[in-house]
Amino acid sequence: MAEVELRINGVIRRADVAPEMTLLSALRDTWGLTGSKLGCDVGDCGACTVLLDGLSVNACLLLAVQADGREVLTIEGLGGLDYLHPLQAAFERLSSYQCGFCAPGMIISAKELIDKSAVPTELEIREALSGNLCRCTGYTKVVEAIADVCREQAAAVGSPSGSDGG
Amino acid sequence: MKKFDYIAPGTLDEAVGALAEHSAHCKLLAGGTDLLVDLKHTLEGPQVVIGLDNVDELRGIEETAVGLRIGAMVTHTEVMESPLIASHAPAMISAARTIGAVQTRNMGTIGGNLVTCVPSMDSGPVLVALDAMVTLAGAGGTRQLPLTDFFVGPRQSALEPDELLVDILIPQAMLGRAASFLKFGLRKGQALALVNAAASVSVMGDEITEVRIALGAVAPTVIRAVEAESVVAGRNPTDAAAVSEAAEVAVTEARPIDDFRASADYRRRLIAVGTRRVLTEALGRARSESMRGAPVG
Repeated sequence: MAEVELRINGVIRRADVAPEMTLLSALRDTWGLTGSKLGCDVGDCGACTVLLDGLSVNACLLLAVQADGREVLTIEGLGGLDYLHPLQAAFERLSSYQCGFCAPGMIISAKELIDKSAVPTELEIREALSGNLCRCTGYTKVVEAIADVCREQAAAVGSPSGSDGG
Repeated sequence: MKKFDYIAPGTLDEAVGALAEHSAHCKLLAGGTDLLVDLKHTLEGPQVVIGLDNVDELRGIEETAVGLRIGAMVTHTEVMESPLIASHAPAMISAARTIGAVQTRNMGTIGGNLVTCVPSMDSGPVLVALDAMVTLAGAGGTRQLPLTDFFVGPRQSALEPDELLVDILIPQAMLGRAASFLKFGLRKGQALALVNAAASVSVMGDEITEVRIALGAVAPTVIRAVEAESVVAGRNPTDAAAVSEAAEVAVTEARPIDDFRASADYRRRLIAVGTRRVLTEALGRARSESMRGAPVG
């Protein structure tokens, strides 16, 4: 066993993990953070996508010991029932998912995109989601939701109320 | 996954030492995007996994006296975002952006991609077209060899069991060389190459003075199409017939196979089209650079 300490959603977490345990398994089984989903388990579907030091990764292809000392953001850290992140709110508003299994990964991938690029094109949004597979609803409403959030953010930055008043 | 012990060396010396000690029954872990998939599906896994995350000597992209050095642990995303690569070897960015999806590119490394020695790897062709060298380190010291000699066969590299890939060097003379990359897949995202191709050219006035053509997924390793190169060498850079002729010759140099993604016959057609396109694009770049007065080559 190896002791790991990492910051997950702003909270320091410690655990003894087996070297062969994936980060996904540690998140779900050790810390009870079941928002990240186990889908294909080979890095194709993106249902397990989390941010590792700000970059999206498949938690199924990362050992928990590799995340030692690093910062992880999961869907639970983005928002919850008392506060929805704008991306979560937009997915809900536009009914961007049906069964919902892919949604946490989709939203985390979108979070990386909007952190990197304030006004992505539709093509950039689709490229950013190419590692996230949806098998029921499709991608149109997902792309619309992300584009919506980007427009809102651009408008907020551009309007007087969004500035510091100076 | 089967049980294993995990070692995370902090320096290259420690990594080489760990590898020497455990080489018979260990695996090196770089980005893990291939290795973890393998470990999940193997019946007999390694006893030890050596994680390379903390080995700084394997990271970084820098310009040195002899060329552009790219650490083996540099991720595909880092390649795509590197100003040095954008200015010296932008075709590498075209290749990196076709690899997997964002999540794969954020974790997967250029060294990891090369050591797989999978014929369809997307990092190989541009680096072969740019005459890249690789540095290997082992208990017996370090050695450097051309990337083309590193590729031995499908999933077989020139690495000895006690060696690891340290870095990739694009020689000084190839920096800024006009080059191009193209990949044919069954879809745009997360596709493996049916065929990929790269070319680099140097143009002096009305003459193509140097040319290198590399093809992937068409033979047991990434290959150079040297006969196709000799067709265009010395010809006029606007000579479209020479380019078409080279494309047909490239087909004869490849040994594509039938598999579930494409037939050998379809691959032969893609080789001709791909070779023609990468040559045409690289020549166009070389000519526009020479017209802008930038150094050619």
